[in-house]
Amino acid sequence: MDKEMKRDLIIELLNKYWNCETNLAEEQELRRLFAEEELPEELQRYAPLFSYIEEEQAPRLSAGFEQRLQESLRKADTAVVPKHMPRRTRLMRIAASILLLVGMGVSLYFITRQQNNPQYAESGKADSEVWEQATDALEKLADALRLSEEASRETLRQLNAMEIDWEMIDSLNSETAAAGRDPDVETEDAGELFHSGDTIQEGVTTGYPESINEEEKI
Amino acid sequence: MKVDSFHTLILPLREKLFRHALGIVRDRAEAEDILQDLLLKLWSRREEWEEIDNPEAYCYRAIRNMSLDRLAVASNRKSAWSSVEEEEKNLIDSESPHSRLVRKEQHALIAHCIAQLPERQQTLFRLREIEEMSYRQIADTLQISEELVKVTLFRARKKLQELLSGEALKEKSRMGTSLDQNER
Repeated sequence: MDKEMKRDLIIELLNKYWNCETNLAEEQELRRLFAEEELPEELQRYAPLFSYIEEEQAPRLSAGFEQRLQESLRKADTAVVPKHMPRRTRLMRIAASILLLVGMGVSLYFITRQQNNPQYAESGKADSEVWEQATDALEKLADALRLSEEASRETLRQLNAMEIDWEMIDSLNSETAAAGRDPDVETEDAGELFHSGDTIQEGVTTGYPESINEEEKI
Repeated sequence: MKVDSFHTLILPLREKLFRHALGIVRDRAEAEDILQDLLLKLWSRREEWEEIDNPEAYCYRAIRNMSLDRLAVASNRKSAWSSVEEEEKNLIDSESPHSRLVRKEQHALIAHCIAQLPERQQTLFRLREIEEMSYRQIADTLQISEELVKVTLFRARKKLQELLSGEALKEKSRMGTSLDQNER
């Protein structure tokens, strides 16, 4: 390329560059042109900018970085495990309160049905008798409510007792998982879920009476 | 979802974030250390991510702030050794020691000038010039308009143009000699 032409090209590109009208390819071209040996005198002062940019583009992460990162992520992961617990127990609590509501609903339904039938037949009875029946029914309802409340309290207590067990078992699980084979974070997560599912089942079948006993002691 | 977005959104940024940190702390080991810190922090707080509306922009800001913090802590004890070695490795061997030194001074001046720019101009300059991102990509990353990207970049380049075309020549020679003395 003719020297004159080259100079004009650089100047044109450079002006476009300052005005932010160059595209990425033109900017690359500019860097290439400025890296060449015989640069017109008056343009030399801009060369450092482009060589600076080129130099800053070069660095890459070292080869060992990836491994160090994965290791520290895994370490952080085992420390984070307890954080997962509240969410699971929250779900169980919601389930328990739904159970409580359903229980109340069912008992209400039966009680009112019991009451309804006789009321039609005995509509002519004395006031005192009706009053007695009503209080009787209300007492029954109160009993049923108390019972279901107690039952759900008990369930919640057991759930709380079980939560402690889960944490312990889970941390055991994740420790063994971390110590053992699994380098991949995602599969480790999946494994953890699987294990905790197991412990829930065990808790329900075998750990049940145990946790009640514990509760009584407290 | 959070595990996913960590792997699909954050991890692919690591080279860029690394160069971002390196541009500030001028030390490879330090820059990698900072990057690891940031990624670790993001990973262990992935539950809270929904509160961050733009993770990418957040990452660039975070790595910048962390790097500046490190630099402030290290500035007292840090010698020029690591960066000298670094730049010598990067330079072509055919260069004479003199031109190498001159170029090093010039680069130091440019780095110094870029460091004086407002935060957004700095980030934008790096994303465009060093990471070679399109205006569209930058706008998406920082969640600003393409217009604003251009205006901001325009200001940053104008500053550098002023610096290089005259005005700063005196300053350059002044800084150059002072650097020169530091070297020896």
